[in-house]
Amino acid sequence: MADADEEAIRATTTEAPQIETDLSDETQDFRLLNHLNFLSDTSSASLPRRGEKDFEPNPTEFQADVLSASRGAMHNALAHPRIHHPKTQVVGIYAPDGPTPPPQAMVDEKGLGVSSDYCVCVPVPKGQYFKTIGQADRWNRVWLLPEEAMYLMERGSLDIKWPRELSGIDADDVNEPLIPMSLQAAYACLLGRSGLTLERYTVFTGLRRLGYAVVRASGWDDNAQAEDSKNEINKHAYTEPQQRGPGLAGIIGRCFAWLDDPFGTSSTAAGPIVGCGIHRNYTDVYRKLATIPWYDPAKAETRDPLDTDAPFRVIFHVYKPSTPIKKSAWPTPDFRIAVVNAREQTSIPTLAQIGALLESTPLDPPRGEKMDRLMYMRLRHGYRNVVLAVVDQGVTSFLRISDAAFGKEKLYENKGPPTGPKRGGNFRPKKR
Amino acid sequence: MDSQPTLPVPISYISGRYLLFSIDAVTYLRREHNICGVLIGTLPQIPQQNVFLGLPLELMPEEARVLVDRDVACIVDEAKAHDGMKSLLEEDRRQYLRELESQGLHASRILSDRKDQQREQALKKLGEKVKAKAAKAADNASASSAQKDESSSVVDIFDDGSNSASRSANMTPESKLAMAITPATSYPPLPQPTSSSRILSKPEVPLSYPLFAHLHSQGYFLSPGLRFGCQYVAYPGDPLRFHSHFLVVSAEWDQNIDLMDIINGGRLGTGVKKGFLLGGPEKTREDVDSEAERVESVRAFSIEWAGM
Amino acid sequence: MSAIRSEQPCPEPSALSKLIEAADASGNPFSATTLQTLHNLQHQHLWTSLQIHDISTALEASETPSKSPITSSPDDTTLTLISGIPPHRVYTHPDEQLYMLEQGLREDDLKPERLFVIPTAQGQAWSLRRIAAVFDAMSDVQADETAGDGNTAKAEQLVKYYERREKARKTTEWGGKRVLLAMVDKGMGGEGTVVYYVVQEGEVKPRQN
Repeated sequence: MADADEEAIRATTTEAPQIETDLSDETQDFRLLNHLNFLSDTSSASLPRRGEKDFEPNPTEFQADVLSASRGAMHNALAHPRIHHPKTQVVGIYAPDGPTPPPQAMVDEKGLGVSSDYCVCVPVPKGQYFKTIGQADRWNRVWLLPEEAMYLMERGSLDIKWPRELSGIDADDVNEPLIPMSLQAAYACLLGRSGLTLERYTVFTGLRRLGYAVVRASGWDDNAQAEDSKNEINKHAYTEPQQRGPGLAGIIGRCFAWLDDPFGTSSTAAGPIVGCGIHRNYTDVYRKLATIPWYDPAKAETRDPLDTDAPFRVIFHVYKPSTPIKKSAWPTPDFRIAVVNAREQTSIPTLAQIGALLESTPLDPPRGEKMDRLMYMRLRHGYRNVVLAVVDQGVTSFLRISDAAFGKEKLYENKGPPTGPKRGGNFRPKKR
Repeated sequence: MDSQPTLPVPISYISGRYLLFSIDAVTYLRREHNICGVLIGTLPQIPQQNVFLGLPLELMPEEARVLVDRDVACIVDEAKAHDGMKSLLEEDRRQYLRELESQGLHASRILSDRKDQQREQALKKLGEKVKAKAAKAADNASASSAQKDESSSVVDIFDDGSNSASRSANMTPESKLAMAITPATSYPPLPQPTSSSRILSKPEVPLSYPLFAHLHSQGYFLSPGLRFGCQYVAYPGDPLRFHSHFLVVSAEWDQNIDLMDIINGGRLGTGVKKGFLLGGPEKTREDVDSEAERVESVRAFSIEWAGM
Repeated sequence: MSAIRSEQPCPEPSALSKLIEAADASGNPFSATTLQTLHNLQHQHLWTSLQIHDISTALEASETPSKSPITSSPDDTTLTLISGIPPHRVYTHPDEQLYMLEQGLREDDLKPERLFVIPTAQGQAWSLRRIAAVFDAMSDVQADETAGDGNTAKAEQLVKYYERREKARKTTEWGGKRVLLAMVDKGMGGEGTVVYYVVQEGEVKPRQN
C-alpha cells in the first residue's frame, strides 16, 4: 500500500512530458497525461486492451459496449497532445533549402560541413537524443535529417517551427513569433526529401522506438553506383571438394592423399565413386563421396555496398542500445538493414540479388565459445548476414538472412557426440 | 468521440502514400466505414514501444479508393496545400498563435491542477494512514521497532510531499507559462482544402482491388496481409475486438494458379483457425470501363483443410 | 545401364498401376489422376458409391473462344468430378454444428451424404475460371441422397434439422456449395499422397476446432 502511495507522490513531482525509463513507469506517466487530455473527453484513461477478442460479432449489447469502450480508449490515446514545457522545450527550425549559416556569420570556402540532406536546424540542442541524432555545425547548432526531425517531433521531444519565409513573415521582422509546424506539415514537407520514403521512415522509427540507434548507410541513395563495379561471378567461393588448401601443406596433403588412395576419384568414370582401394575408416569414404562443389562464404570476395541494386542494398546501420556511440566515428554496426516495399517488390529476391547483398556486408564469421561448441548456432549465424525489413502498408516484417556454410561443417569429421538440440540417438556421456 | 467530421474527409497524399492526421477522421472512418488503416506514428505519452502506435494513420490505396468512391473522402496533395502557409495573412497567423497560446495555458493549468489534486489526495490518504497507525500504536502498547521504522519512513515521505508542494508553489508563476503545442494537423491555420487544384484524382489501385472492395462491402474490415503470408487479412468486425476470419489472396480470372499455392494457403489458414479466401473479378480491366463493374463480378472461394 | 537393369526382376505393378493401365487399355477417357484419387477415396478413406462425372462441357461453355488457352495436356481440357459417400461427415459448418448441439444431434445421427471431389495433380494449371466452372457444373450433377437408417429416437429432431438445413441451403448461411479439392502429389519425387481441402463458394467463416 505504501508503495502505491509513494508512486502517486513521485508521479506528481515528475515533469510530465519526458522521462520514460521502464515500462511500468510509462504506464503511470500515461495515465497522468491522459487526464491532461484537453482536446477530448477525459473520462477513460486506459490503453485499448489486446488479446481478449471474440470470434465474430453478435447482437449483444455487452459486445457493443466493450467495442465502444475499446474505441473510446483508442481515441483518447490518439488524441493525446504533443506539448512542450517551456523549461525543457527544444526548438527546431525547418530549413527547406538545406543547411544555411546563422544570419550574421560569414561562410568561408570550408562551407558548413553539413550535407544538404539535413533540413531542420536546432539552434540550442539539449537533451539526451542528440547523442545519436543529428550533426553539429561550426556554430554548435545541430542539424537533423528529415527522419530524425520527424521522429523527435512525433515523440513530443521537438517543436519544429516554420521558417519566416514560408509562413508569410517578413525576413527582417525578427520579433514576430514563429508558427509551429504541425505533424501533418512535417510529413508533408519532410517525407520524400533526399530519398526518405514512408517505408524507410517506418523502419527507422520502429527501431528508434525500441532504443536502437539508426543511421543512414552509404547505400541510402538508390542511384549511387560503385566506382568500378564487378558483376562477374565470384568463382573463388566455389570450393573444389578435394582441395586441401593452398601452399606447402596443401601439396603435402595431396601427396598423402595419393598414397592413401592410389585409385582415387580419377577412376570414378569407370567404377564406383569411392574408388577401388581399401577403406579403413568412414572419413575416407565420405571424403571421396564429396564430389559436389560447395560454396564457401568465407572465401567470397567482399563487394562494394554500392555495387548492389535497390531495394536489396543496405540503407541503414543499426546499433544496439548498449553499443557505445561516438557520432564523430561510428563504430561497426550491429545490424545492416535493407528496406523493401512489399507493394513495389512483390517477389522474393533472386539468388543474385541476395548474393550481392550479402557480399556487400563484411565477413562476420561465427565466433565465440558458444559458436565453437554448437554447430547449429554456427550454421544459423552464418558468415555474412543482413536484415531485410519488408514493409507492407505500414506493417513491417524483419527477416535475417545469413550465408550459412554447410560445406564447412563436415559431419563425418565430427569425432565428438552430435551437437545441437537433437533428440533421438544422442549418446552424450553424462558429466559427473 | 462520436464526432462527425466535415465530409468529404481530406486524405493527405504525401510522397505517394495516403495518410490521415485528424483523430476525428480516423475514429469516424473506423466507426462508420469499417476503415482501420495502420497506425504508424509514435504516441508521445508512451514513445518507447511498438505495441500501441499513434497518428498518422496509413491507408492502403484500396482503402482510400473505397472512401473516395463512396464520396466520403477526397485526396489532397498535402505538399502543395502547405505552400499556402506562405500566403497566410498576418491577421490569421496572429489569431492562430493566440489560439495555440490559450490552449497551451489551458494545458499548463490542467497539468498543475492535476498535480495539486493528486498531491492532495495522496497526502490525505497518507494522513489517514498515519492517523490509523498512530491509533493502532496507541492501542498496542508493545510497539515493535519494525513498526517504528515504518512509521518514520511514512513521515519521510510526508516531508517529501510537503517539499514538493512548496517547490511547486515557488514555481507557480512559471507554470502559468503556456505549454508550446505541436498540433496534429495544419487546418487551421490553413483553410480547408476545397479548391480543386489541390484535390487529386482517385487513387490508383492494384489488381486485387475488386476483391478488397467486395469484402469491404460485405462488412469485413481489411488489413495488409504480408505478415500472415497473404494480401489482406479479413476481420468480421473491428480488429480491436475480433479475430480475423480469412487470409485473402486475389487472382485475375484466367491467371494461372499453382495448386500448391492453394494447398499452402489452406494449410496456413487452418493452422491459425482461419479460412483461406481465394477470389477475384470475372471481368478484366479491358472488359469494363470502371473498377466498380469489376467489383460487381467478384467471386470468392473459401478453402479449409478437410482433415482427411 | 539397361543391361544391368534387365537382369533384375521387375517388381510387381501396384494395384493402382494395374487399375490405371487397365483403364487406359479399355479406352477409358478418365485421367490417371482421377483414377488415382478414386482409388485413394475407396481404399484409404473407405468411401462408397463412388462415381465419376465428366463435366468438361461446363468448362468449355465458360470460355469464350478468343480467350481459351489451348493447351495440349489432356488434364487441361478434360474436367471430371468424383462423387461418393464418406463413412463420416467431412465438413460441418460452425453454425450448423451449434444448431445440432442445441437439438442434441450428433453427426452419426444424420444420414450419409454424397460429396463431390475435384481430382487434381500437383503442377496442373488452375485458375479461378476453372474453379468457378466446377461450382457452376455442380448444380447439373444431382446428388442422390441415400436414405438413412432412420434413427427413431431422434426422428423429431431430425425432421426439424432437415427443414432447417433446407432453409440454410437457400440462404447459404451454413456455407455455400461445397466440394473437396483433392491433390495428388505427382511432382518430382511425388509418392502419390493425396491431400484434401474443402472449397466453398463465397465467404464461409472458418471452423474453430
